[in-house]
Amino acid sequence: MSEKEILNQVQEIFHDQLDDESIILTTDTTANDVDDWDSLTHIMLVVATEKHFKIKFTSQEILSWKNVGEMINCILEKKHS
Amino acid sequence: MIFNISDTFKESFIVCKNTHKNFIKLSQDRNPLHTNQDFAKSKGFKGLVMHGNILNAYISYFIGECLPIKNVIIHSQDIQFKNPVFFDNILDFTATVSGIFESVNSIEFKYYFRNSQSKVVAKGKIQIGII
Repeated sequence: MSEKEILNQVQEIFHDQLDDESIILTTDTTANDVDDWDSLTHIMLVVATEKHFKIKFTSQEILSWKNVGEMINCILEKKHS
Repeated sequence: MIFNISDTFKESFIVCKNTHKNFIKLSQDRNPLHTNQDFAKSKGFKGLVMHGNILNAYISYFIGECLPIKNVIIHSQDIQFKNPVFFDNILDFTATVSGIFESVNSIEFKYYFRNSQSKVVAKGKIQIGII
């Protein structure tokens, strides 16, 4: 699975969880760039992402993400390990 | 983590007249299906149909009062209504831990409400956060 494929799938998760089809994610996107991406939504996004990709994050990993790109790198590492 | 996958919790509820009356007072939902016996029977039901959302109140009670910890909030819950509930039905509620998301301190339950004939009247999922 490529970075682009994961980005597209994560974007779909964002559309579904935030009920906003207009969200366009890039690897540089941060929570400040997306309306309604607050702490509660963040939990829902993480849970939906774990379920979708059948992976588990650690709280340290989540806290270390500075943008969507770092989240996607984390997913890539877990899918390829 | 205090919960494990497949941990199961059980409760029992009776939808009594007082519950019905208080739910109408709270919701202001006086739809004839819930308040007019003749109307409910004319639609093929054996009596007044209880508001399905009474069951959501039971879920609130379960999460707020019946779990082994109190530091919880509901993130989301969904419900599918499968069969009607009538006055004085005894409902057996079973909730099983179906997901643990330690990274965000979140737990998912899959739940069922069954009537005394063991028929599922409602089911769904609840996601809670441990705060």
